[in-house]
Amino acid sequence: MKISPIIGLEVHVELKTKSKMFCGCDANHFHVEPNTHTCPVCLGLPGALPVPNKTACDWCIKIGLALGCEVNKLTFFERKNYFYPDLAKGFQITQLQKPFSINGKLIIDDQEITINRVHMEEDTGKSVHIDDSTLIDFNRSGVPLVEIVSEPDIHSSAIAKKYLQKLQQIIRYIGVSDADIEKGSLRCEPTINLMIEDNGKTYYTPLAEIKNVASLTGVENAIDFEVNRQTEQFKIDHQQKNSSNKTTRGWDADKNQTFLQREKEENADYRYFPEPDLPPIEYSETEIEAISKSLPELPNRKIVKYKSYGLSDYDSQIIADNSLFATAFERAIGEKNDKEFCKFVANIFIGPILTLLNKSQSEIDLDKIKHEYFYSLFKSVSSSEISNTMAKQVIIESYQIDEDPVYIAAKKGLIQVSDPGKIEMMARQVILDNPKAVNDYKKNPLTLSFLIGQLMKVSLGSANPSLAKETLEKLLGK
Amino acid sequence: MLLDKNIAELSDGLKKKLFTSVDLVNECYSNIKKYDLTINSFITLVPLEEALKNAKLADKNINDHSSLLHGIPFVLKDCFVTKNIKTTAASNVLKNFNSPFNATVYQKLLSAGAILIGKMNMDAWGHGGSSENTDFGPVKNPWDIKRVAGGSGGGPAAAIATRFAVFAIGEDTGGSIRNPSAWCNVTGLKVTYGRVSRYGSIAYASSFDTVGPTAKTSKDCAIILETIAGLDKYDATSSPQKVSNYSRLLNQKISGLTIGIPKEFFQDGLDPEIRQAVLSVAEKLKSLGVNTKEISMPMFDYGLPVYYIIAPSETSSNLSRYDGIRYGQNRDSFTQETMRRIMIGTYTLSAGYYDAYYKKAQEVRTLFIGEYKKALSECDVLLQPITPTPPPLFGELINNPLQNLLADVYTISQNTAGVPSLALPCGFTKNNLPIGAQIVGQMFSEDLLLRIGHQFQQITDYHLQKPKL
Repeated sequence: MKISPIIGLEVHVELKTKSKMFCGCDANHFHVEPNTHTCPVCLGLPGALPVPNKTACDWCIKIGLALGCEVNKLTFFERKNYFYPDLAKGFQITQLQKPFSINGKLIIDDQEITINRVHMEEDTGKSVHIDDSTLIDFNRSGVPLVEIVSEPDIHSSAIAKKYLQKLQQIIRYIGVSDADIEKGSLRCEPTINLMIEDNGKTYYTPLAEIKNVASLTGVENAIDFEVNRQTEQFKIDHQQKNSSNKTTRGWDADKNQTFLQREKEENADYRYFPEPDLPPIEYSETEIEAISKSLPELPNRKIVKYKSYGLSDYDSQIIADNSLFATAFERAIGEKNDKEFCKFVANIFIGPILTLLNKSQSEIDLDKIKHEYFYSLFKSVSSSEISNTMAKQVIIESYQIDEDPVYIAAKKGLIQVSDPGKIEMMARQVILDNPKAVNDYKKNPLTLSFLIGQLMKVSLGSANPSLAKETLEKLLGK
Repeated sequence: MLLDKNIAELSDGLKKKLFTSVDLVNECYSNIKKYDLTINSFITLVPLEEALKNAKLADKNINDHSSLLHGIPFVLKDCFVTKNIKTTAASNVLKNFNSPFNATVYQKLLSAGAILIGKMNMDAWGHGGSSENTDFGPVKNPWDIKRVAGGSGGGPAAAIATRFAVFAIGEDTGGSIRNPSAWCNVTGLKVTYGRVSRYGSIAYASSFDTVGPTAKTSKDCAIILETIAGLDKYDATSSPQKVSNYSRLLNQKISGLTIGIPKEFFQDGLDPEIRQAVLSVAEKLKSLGVNTKEISMPMFDYGLPVYYIIAPSETSSNLSRYDGIRYGQNRDSFTQETMRRIMIGTYTLSAGYYDAYYKKAQEVRTLFIGEYKKALSECDVLLQPITPTPPPLFGELINNPLQNLLADVYTISQNTAGVPSLALPCGFTKNNLPIGAQIVGQMFSEDLLLRIGHQFQQITDYHLQKPKL
């Protein structure tokens, strides 16, 4: 029996626009006193009318373009009618027939995942259940929400997780949302079934949509659980997918299992129809081009670019992971994309800088990243004036106090003496002062380390150790 | 009676201090006190002291530059939300509803200095053509109190006919301003879709709803329209089209214009007396140099089905917010007629029926838009009847749902196409019941309609006739 999971992901991203989708209310609702960011429009009061938020529409198109979608120039909103206490108007304004963009793709591990659609809609209010009562907070009602729907092109929980991470990364890159799963600004609902090949026959198990998954690991675990559950279930009942046995299951992160929420999903009839309160929206070629031009360079492009600078695939990915970090890196290398220099800077970024940021739980401060500092440090390391170890130390200090790292090294006497003449003078002195050690060396060359130590002492630690060794060997005759 | 005067005369008198806004308000309340127990046109009457307080302030503030509406008493159909005064849409569902904001049209009138007298009775949510589908008792026709006042805006029209106020603001989705105007002998304007903001107007069917004036004359309507029309940032469907100085263009010549008479609007089903009175409008306009031309609008028969699929579809969605959780009343507070429309609309939008009903109706709607464009390329304006019959007796419409829909047969296609239409008094039946005619024009041709209406009213006196109560 061969089992292949078939997974499609529906992802909702809350945009971080200042105002809500169809009114002027503050769109921020995280840790805000309930029902303080509301107005007649987002409360759906009699007589109130929606007016679309242009920035949100632009951003929705921006996400579509970043995912390689085609943009529909003429789109319109529709009403999705259903009853729920936190749905103020009795319908949600969304898009069905003409989403802002369609047909995109994301490449995960050389595998292409097709994006079916990227559309714009509004969020609902939030029901809070306390004891036996339900309270409703409308602060979230009308917050702009972009829905990104993938085709069922995903075949493992690991790829699903990577897809989400990639999506999250792109959305953060273009700066339209925090895309934070824990805070609910990115929500993911996987739909899963299995293709089972057994004795030359192919079976498809019933679809299950999973809700309430609140972390990346949760998505991975929920899919894994569901794959096992469906496998076991199939062994018992051999039930196959049909048009009426799709179920909705919830994810219980504590118990690490999914549980049945609703059966027979096909009966939901949302009575979609074009929203008569909103005229169709038209984007011109020029407007779409302007949005396209406003897109930053995306991580995939950056990775290719970094590799052309001589960085490894691994290093490129780490640097491109976060938009701000990548920007800082590019600022540090400036116009000089000499391979040695780039590698040098990359090592510093991936090493001490990243460690520092992780330790302080902070974002990199672009203002403190100066190309001149990195370049002068690079030259000093190249000419062996400053050791690699010292370089990593002084660059952190330089970042913290905004001073030239070479100057810091000089101040601390950390500049390495690599001048052969100076080293030779010191070597001769050491040989004169330590006749016994010289004799020992002649019997046993392994004792040279004592003389090197003496030379380092004389140089107050600034002598280039390898040059010191070479010079001593030369003078003493190997 | 001061309230027989038109707005320009009243404003002039106020500015010259021949009389005061307080006088006007007192006259309104005196008429209301005398007759509204019979007519039942109000749902909420602003307390007299409150109206007088506003009138006194208006009298104090008036100057030569004040708006023509400054100090003028008016009423609103009860579908416009108002702060501090309840708004019911004539339904028990909202019987205790107080809006935290003002409708744009109301706000504009307040800014102009007009004085609100009350909120008027209507068919609940706009669902009806007789003002019988109301939870506040039916509105009686001032010309014959055994008969309906028309609808859905029966209250506003009856109030103007009986001089309870100088003008009213109504809302027309499929004839709700024009039908009661015709049956109560007042002048009413259904504007181009998007001409006046709908913000704060409780929706019946969003893509048909229009906000417009009801008054005694075309000129009054022109003055009111100047104040209430225009783009509103709170209504995405309001138009940026420039607002004309409608009242200053009223005397521009109309000779040489061609008025089209679409034959389909004058066939079987139209009461002969109404037919004759409406056609006589063409004859009278001829004396002003207007040409007439018979044209054909073959889509006519599809008007009712298109309207009664799309409008209920939209209303089923618009009313879904009254889900029994908010607003204090449960869904069984809806009337039979409203439940019927919600059920029809829910059905026509349902999976499996959408293509056959809603989608098909939208396609036919596009054809209607084309049909009006074509008709109005052959002539400048169209002359059409408003109602197929004179005002019926109580119960005739509300107890016969199909007949109830047929009352709208001449007034829905303009909303379907979005074009403006002016309802004008044009005669009386043998039994002295009013008859109205409508002049329909291209999108945003209100200036032309009002001009024709004004000049027609210069040579006729139907609009000056008052019911004897």
